Amino acid sequence: MESDPIIVCRCEEVTLQELHETAKSYQCSSRELKLRTRAGMGYCGGRTCRNLIDMIVNEVTGKSPGHSIPLGYQPPVRPVTFGLLGGHK
Amino acid sequence: MTDVLIVGAGPAGLSAGIACAQHGLQVKIVDEFPRPGGRLLGQLHEEPDGTWWNGMEEAKRLLEQAEKLGVDIDCGVSVYDAAKTKEGWSVSSSHGNFEVPKLLLATGAAEMALPLPGWTLPGVMSIGGAQVMTNVHRVRVGERGIVVGVNILSVAIARELQLSGIHVDRMVLPAQNPVTRDAGNPEKVFQSMLRVAHLAPSTFMKLGSKLLKSKTMQKLALQFLPGIGGIRMWGIPIQLKAAALEIIGDKQVEGVKIVKINAKGAPIPGTEKVIPADFVCIAGGLYPLVELAAVAGCPFAYLPELGGHVPLHNERMQTPVEGLYVAGNITGIEGAKVAAAQGTVAGLSIADEFGKLPEKNLLSTAIETVEVVRQNATIQFHPCIAQGRATVKNMSAQHKSDA
Ligand SMILES: Cc1cc2nc3c(=O)[nH]c(=O)nc-3n(C[C@H](O)[C@H](O)[C@H](O)COP(=O)(O)OP(=O)(O)OC[C@H]3O[C@@H](n4cnc5c(N)ncnc54)[C@H](O)[C@@H]3O)c2cc1C
Repeated sequence: MESDPIIVCRCEEVTLQELHETAKSYQCSSRELKLRTRAGMGYCGGRTCRNLIDMIVNEVTGKSPGHSIPLGYQPPVRPVTFGLLGGHK
Repeated sequence: MTDVLIVGAGPAGLSAGIACAQHGLQVKIVDEFPRPGGRLLGQLHEEPDGTWWNGMEEAKRLLEQAEKLGVDIDCGVSVYDAAKTKEGWSVSSSHGNFEVPKLLLATGAAEMALPLPGWTLPGVMSIGGAQVMTNVHRVRVGERGIVVGVNILSVAIARELQLSGIHVDRMVLPAQNPVTRDAGNPEKVFQSMLRVAHLAPSTFMKLGSKLLKSKTMQKLALQFLPGIGGIRMWGIPIQLKAAALEIIGDKQVEGVKIVKINAKGAPIPGTEKVIPADFVCIAGGLYPLVELAAVAGCPFAYLPELGGHVPLHNERMQTPVEGLYVAGNITGIEGAKVAAAQGTVAGLSIADEFGKLPEKNLLSTAIETVEVVRQNATIQFHPCIAQGRATVKNMSAQHKSDA
């Protein structure tokens, strides 16, 4: 029996297999892997999977994360309404 | 007028607020959780001397002290941005903007996942989620659970679940894959378990503590560990030689398929079986929650011994960014007592910056206290914490001299 795929990014439903294959064919950075697969671009802002993406890149390319954060953070770091971001009530 | 805004009402944020207020500063603390206390609210464990660490009580004590000093605490407020202004900081939250001269980030830590097939099923939760539901919200997480991932945090929380009358059937490792790695390696996990031996002395006494001091003996002990029976802490089987392959269930968790593994974590074919369960906790460890430090423009250091990326800071908990301070688990994963001690340092350091700390020795004493508390910590998340701390200090000094 083939077991279910391992989902790494829950928000965007990106699997371990897809991430692994993409990292392998492009030998890419975490940021490129994110842009290619959308892993880490969902609702939670990568809170659950950012470390896992770094681990996959490290496993495939042998590069461990440097001192600067591989997957940058952009505001808003929490989900917010459009109203809050400057809309009119 | 608020002099300092503190994000996070855990032990670090509350202690910092107290130290600031004691020196005449106007302090505001915001936290997105409905109640102040941070991770303290869920903590309950027995110290080696037989006394209990009751985080709920500790939180209450800190809160009362802060309120008496006039610290303004607002819960249910999520901060989503922090931008530098000419005068200080402009901080955006779900409940409006704050303009403040000084900003302290005491946002704590987040949990790491251990992905395996079926981990998105209802009934699967992080070990910290189970802790909060059980000890804070008093909600029963299930009847019969399996914990995947064996580390200091999951062992401590499994014990808490047990104390609340919830049956923890067993603890197993996750099957090894590129995103579980060391968490699926029995040798590595066993070594880290020896560091928590004091939490359940009788379990480890049986294994012979002297025997386990040498690396070769550890390897041997692991060979002889009864494979599937494993060791027990408080009667909970901890199976270092069994791994969870998959969480099974149609609409929700029904069980976990486990397999025997060798000392390196490789599965032994033909030994698979399904263990029934109605909830599963996954425990991949903690990492510092640094998102606000990142958007505030703070430089970082990558130090696995502290849990990953941490904002650069000096002993006074000052970051290289003007008016930005950090304290607690955002600076590295340690226990609550260390977080509180760091909070006090940050508070005094901010007071000093405002010219309101005439007794300079208070700050140097508080800095020494962090060291003492660290050395005496019952719960140590990583064996090389002191090394990591020293590296951050050096990097911060280097950063300053480069600037
Ligand atoms: C699940 C779990 C269990 C733990 N169990 C133990 C234990 O048993 N013993 C022990 O010694 N240590 C334990 N720890 C370690 C724990 O992190 C420390 O004990 C201590 O609580 C850290 O204190 P802190 O003040 O740095 O952060 P926390 O106590 O985590 O407090 C941080 C606060 O910041 C708030 N926050 C974060 N981001 C924002 C934002 N953007 N806007 C508004 N508010 C925000 C959070 O809601 C939280 O209340 C545990 C940690 C976790 C995650």
